[in-house]
Amino acid sequence: MTVTGADGREVVISVRGLAKSFGSHQIWESLSLDVYRGEILAIVGGSGQGKSVLMRVITGLVTPDKGDVGLFGQNAKTLTPQARLEIEKRWGILFQDGALFSSLTVLQNIQVPMREHLNLPQAMMDDLAFLKLTMVGLPPNAAHKFPSELSGGMRKRAGLARALALDPEIVFLDEPTAGLDPIGATDFDHLIRKLQQTLGLTVYMVTHDLDTIFTVCDRVAVLADKKIVRTGSPAELQSRPNHPWIQEYFCGERARAASPTEQRRLIANDA
Amino acid sequence: MLKRDHQLVLPTQARAPGFRVELRGTTFRLIATGAWTVAEAADLDKALKRLRVPIPPTPDFTGEMDIAGIAEIDTAGAWLLQRTARAWQKGGLRTHYAGATESFRILIEEVHKRGSAKRPEIEKVGALQQLLGDTTTAVTSVWQDAVQLTAFLGEVTAAFLRLFRQPWRFRTTSFFHHLDHAGLRALPIIALICFLIGAVVMQQGVVQLRPFGAEPFAVNMVAILALREVGILLTAIMVAGRSGSAFTAEIGSMKMREEIDAMRTLGIDPMDTLVLPRVLALVVALPLLTFLGDIMALAGGGVMAFGVLGIDMATYIDKLHEAVDFQHFMAGMIKAPFAAIIIGLVGCLEGLRVEGSAESLGSHVTSAVVKAIFLVIILDAVFATFLSGIGV
Repeated sequence: MTVTGADGREVVISVRGLAKSFGSHQIWESLSLDVYRGEILAIVGGSGQGKSVLMRVITGLVTPDKGDVGLFGQNAKTLTPQARLEIEKRWGILFQDGALFSSLTVLQNIQVPMREHLNLPQAMMDDLAFLKLTMVGLPPNAAHKFPSELSGGMRKRAGLARALALDPEIVFLDEPTAGLDPIGATDFDHLIRKLQQTLGLTVYMVTHDLDTIFTVCDRVAVLADKKIVRTGSPAELQSRPNHPWIQEYFCGERARAASPTEQRRLIANDA
Repeated sequence: MLKRDHQLVLPTQARAPGFRVELRGTTFRLIATGAWTVAEAADLDKALKRLRVPIPPTPDFTGEMDIAGIAEIDTAGAWLLQRTARAWQKGGLRTHYAGATESFRILIEEVHKRGSAKRPEIEKVGALQQLLGDTTTAVTSVWQDAVQLTAFLGEVTAAFLRLFRQPWRFRTTSFFHHLDHAGLRALPIIALICFLIGAVVMQQGVVQLRPFGAEPFAVNMVAILALREVGILLTAIMVAGRSGSAFTAEIGSMKMREEIDAMRTLGIDPMDTLVLPRVLALVVALPLLTFLGDIMALAGGGVMAFGVLGIDMATYIDKLHEAVDFQHFMAGMIKAPFAAIIIGLVGCLEGLRVEGSAESLGSHVTSAVVKAIFLVIILDAVFATFLSGIGV
């Protein structure tokens, strides 16, 4: 069963009327969001707006107080454990610091989902895991290293390789470029774009990074006032913010430096 | 004639769920169909392994991977195609792909590019070499432990002596916090354990001594055992398990999150803030807990004596007075501060030795408890020999 959105594109995740409180603090009242197949969607919003919590609600790690989460056209509430497992195999998650298992080497970490869910011969798992490792841009000698021997950027890449182990349709990225140096962050942006094109992925990312938003994201959803206040392409949001927070975020000093239109203007001025 | 030759070199008229192989003209074609995804990879892999590499009779024969019939493909499927294509290429067939859509082509090219990288092998070590290596590591680590613990004892002593010159460095709040956690909160469990062991020893003593008609002496046995050994040993082991492990876990997780480095850069000595309050709190708490343990073990013995021997409390206390004197009590008590120092030092030192990973934290907590208990028992043996040597 596939669900199609207003413009005919397939909706892979649809969230309707979500509400969630922690104690007396309500983070969303009625939050709705659609994720389309094949897009790179960025979720932005101020601190404490529940960006990471939304990702955890969609992936089933946190239960919402009210509202529905639709996964590939099925309601998450009515799924049997078996059906949920089948859906979980169709996505991969990159946590903020990679969340690699510290007692396993990088290659073994990548093989964990294969070992759990597939019945592949060991030699093939080794080769496939190594292929994933090179696809995320890790050097071959990282294969037998333990997570504690890797740098932060390498841990993220290894975490991404593990998220891609089962060739998922959707990958969730929690702040993929946080804590990386600008060169590393740019490389990671390009990697996300390249993998998205190569593997036909749908990418859902929580991010603060304006450079990432302007270089790789097709669509941005803005969390503010306890709901998604707007969605649209980065350029749309920048040209017509229509909301004080979006105005400040997309038209502030940092945004102007990151935006491609602004960079074109600067280049034109130089000429 | 030609045809038959070709028939001879055709690998097999292979057919499998996901593909078939044919020879058309001078082209060997692998016609792939259906889903080439990771879910099907195990079956495809098996079928492809059975497929023999075609041998070209003349150099102008070529190979073709016809993937027009593939509905779905992912990296696992692309990798399998790539492996087959490479094998054919190596066998002397120039092999190309046909029928790829744009997105399939990007994926297959990427996998071909990445597939050429060589996976580094893990160095294999022989069993004997491994055994010898492990033995060496174990022996040297015992030596290193001894050296480090001695050095740490020195550091802590120096920090302690410094307190007399600079008493303001003493962290009162921290000290009382640990006194509360390691001392006060350990009261119920230590009281209970010592009471029960006292009772069990009395009951067993009576049962074993009865055939000799010596059951009244069970009271002497319990009294001496409780005061000299059971009180201190049980308490020390319990505290090593409760507080020694907690010290390692607390300090270790601070080390993991660079809090200790932060302290050092802020000019705060972790010795003052973390180690000394913990060790000193144990030095105060353990003798007190031991005293409680002694009393409770004697009480447990008393209750059991009433049960199996019918001795009332007043008679039991009289018998205790005959059996033991202050010397026995002190012989147990003198060990408490030393055991406290051992448990505190080992707990803190193991915490400071934790490295980046969660696994390291776990193994250091384990080794803190094991080493602390081991050293406490060694200490007990040394004291027993020494005290009996000087006739106490």
